[in-house]
Amino acid sequence: MTDSVEAQAELEGVLKDEIIRMYQDVADNPDGEFHFFHGRQAAEMFAYDARALDEAPEGAVASFAGVGNPHVRSNVQPGETVLDLGSGAGLDAIIAARSAGPTGKVIGVDLNPSMCLKAQAHAAATGSDMECHEGRMENVPLTDESVDVILSNGVINLSFQKRKVVEEMFRVLRPGGRISITDIVSAKQLSQSIVNDPKLWAA
Amino acid sequence: MFRLLEESGFQRVRSAVVPGFQFRQTSTQNSAEAYGVKAVMMTAEKPG
Repeated sequence: MTDSVEAQAELEGVLKDEIIRMYQDVADNPDGEFHFFHGRQAAEMFAYDARALDEAPEGAVASFAGVGNPHVRSNVQPGETVLDLGSGAGLDAIIAARSAGPTGKVIGVDLNPSMCLKAQAHAAATGSDMECHEGRMENVPLTDESVDVILSNGVINLSFQKRKVVEEMFRVLRPGGRISITDIVSAKQLSQSIVNDPKLWAA
Repeated sequence: MFRLLEESGFQRVRSAVVPGFQFRQTSTQNSAEAYGVKAVMMTAEKPG
């Protein structure tokens, strides 16, 4: 049992490194080829508002690696506090900040501290004051009942502990708060060879 | 995910397939289809 727990912990550590490497690669090489669509092409595929994309910093758009458009049903209102779980280079946070307005607040959480800095710089370029915390979605570094809306785009599938992620979302939401997430799901159990391969899992 | 959301106390859980999602590389897309992989949008609320 202990061996199993240790093996799981080791695999999670390797996976964390692989996830950071992959998405850092997208941010550093937005013209590169990846197995998923990214950048403006992906955002347009998911019907992101063209004006929002035009007004967002080019780097934030180019690094976009989402799998859908969580803004379609987020209904963020002025003054609300929004958490972007897995905020990456900040495009979704920047778009949410447009709706939350100056009386609202947008908070990012990302595994990669350098992506947090990048997202904050992108947000600042649009006049938004984005708070971003390095952290894991299985242990969100926010207090209980502190946010109104949670957005997430294509990251929860990367976790080995999805139940813990969902429990953390529930914990940090205020009563009456809501989530709007887009993510990848699988109808079949993935083979052990995929589960045990961090490169495939991160994909 | 849908079940996890309900079991964790969320209510009004809704999901819909993201139209147009696909992987860029054909081989990845083929593997994804074999496993029934798709992108979904999910919304839910924490009881007030």
